[in-house]
Amino acid sequence: MMEVLTSFTFIVVAAGTMILAFAGGMVGAISVMKGQSLIGDAVGHATFPGIVLAFMLIGVKETYTLALGAVLFGIIAFLTIQMITNHSKVTLDGALALVLSSFFGLGMALMSFVQGNPDFEGTQGLNDYIFGQAAYMLRSDVYLITAASVISLFILAAFYIQIRIYIFDPVFSRTAGINNTLMNFIILIITILLISVGLKAVGAILIVNLLIAPAVIGQLWSSRFSTVLLIAGSSGAFAAFTGTYISTAGENIATGPAIILTLSFLMALSLFCAPKGIIRRNIYKRRMGGVS
Amino acid sequence: MDGTIITIKDLNVAYQDKPALWHINLDIRKNSRTAIVGPNGAGKSTMIKTMMKLIRPVSGSIEIDGRTDKGVLKNIAYVPQKGEVNWDFPATVLDVVLMGRYVHKGWVKRTQKKDRDIALEALKTMKMEAFCDRQISELSGGQRQRAFLARAIAQDADIYVMDEPLQGIDITTENLIMDVIRKLQAEGKTFIVVHHQLNTVKEYFDHVVIMNKTIIADGPTDAVFTGDNIEKAYREKGVGV
Repeated sequence: MMEVLTSFTFIVVAAGTMILAFAGGMVGAISVMKGQSLIGDAVGHATFPGIVLAFMLIGVKETYTLALGAVLFGIIAFLTIQMITNHSKVTLDGALALVLSSFFGLGMALMSFVQGNPDFEGTQGLNDYIFGQAAYMLRSDVYLITAASVISLFILAAFYIQIRIYIFDPVFSRTAGINNTLMNFIILIITILLISVGLKAVGAILIVNLLIAPAVIGQLWSSRFSTVLLIAGSSGAFAAFTGTYISTAGENIATGPAIILTLSFLMALSLFCAPKGIIRRNIYKRRMGGVS
Repeated sequence: MDGTIITIKDLNVAYQDKPALWHINLDIRKNSRTAIVGPNGAGKSTMIKTMMKLIRPVSGSIEIDGRTDKGVLKNIAYVPQKGEVNWDFPATVLDVVLMGRYVHKGWVKRTQKKDRDIALEALKTMKMEAFCDRQISELSGGQRQRAFLARAIAQDADIYVMDEPLQGIDITTENLIMDVIRKLQAEGKTFIVVHHQLNTVKEYFDHVVIMNKTIIADGPTDAVFTGDNIEKAYREKGVGV
């Protein structure tokens, strides 16, 4: 066991995924409480063409440029979603599904174009951004994740009071002098930022889980805003550590899916056992004499 | 005490291309209990939301306390309709009431003991002190409305704007809310309340605005709240629809 824990790959991957999952859990909890969990999913998928285009422009898979491409496409995707919902009769869920599939489709088309094209070399690693390939994470990936996470958490801390009021009661927050548009923008930008730096670790398809599952776990265990955020962050980090360990120690289990599965297990456990879980609810209902 | 606290001049509001409010000219008296009544879709909520600068009008002006800037909104405590809030949000009743103190705190300052005392006092006024640590998701409709009014009291504003505060609550809460409103009016506050029960208008409010897209009548309840005016508002379709 010690061998695994002290191996260089394990340390790099565990550090990167844990920091990412901690920040992702906290920021994701805010999106979930705001009722916007699926925006993370759409944006996650939509960042993929940004990765491929950035690669096509510079010709190498350089961490920072690819992340920049992802951020740009995340923003474009969100603006597209807003434009569709504001200017047509398509509802939010319709717009999300449209943007998710068409952007991801664009990414897949671009990828198959460069892969069959002799002008581009070193294209095989692009797949990693779809499903994630944490084992190939570099130091530069970890630095980027750390920087993005610290920035996100710092912004979150700076606007904590305003964000809390805004999510609970947007009308009151407006009248109390809080800039709702700015709050929405901040939540969105840090979400896109974390998604973009986390793609290599867990991939465009699974990344949304790092945002949503910890939030659900947090909400099942606590009824305090700050505690929900802390539990979300911690359970994300815990799952990242466990998942990375499982995948490093075991054979042929990719890290991203191992983390997601650990999170799913924690979530299932919480769904049954947590104070607001199914079992306690039923006991409470029976005590109150209601139908369970 | 007398005078005008809110002056609305030639206000027009539209949703996309549909007109919602037409040529609204209205003075709201300082220190009054003013009810806003009218049929569904008459634009009552739209009008108070426009007052709160939540909706941008097509044209017209709204002066509050002689001012038109955004800062004046801090002197208005807004009590939203119950449905406008995320009730599953993880917060206690005290958390919600403390939000009312935000207006006086500004940016990053945390709440202090003084704010807590004010919040607890507001909860006591609303007979909710026993519920201060209760989750908001566990409250009944009446308790939620009391918590909201407690938040408004904690905000310590001069003007209260309330959107159907008596909708779907128990009679005890209704009486309590009206008692508190009367008490605060005696302290110099002004109340603007969207109200849906016509039978209680005379008992609860000293001024009334009867509207349906446009103002049908406004003034002291005794003079204005007549069968004629009510029939006009409720029978006729609004202008432009």
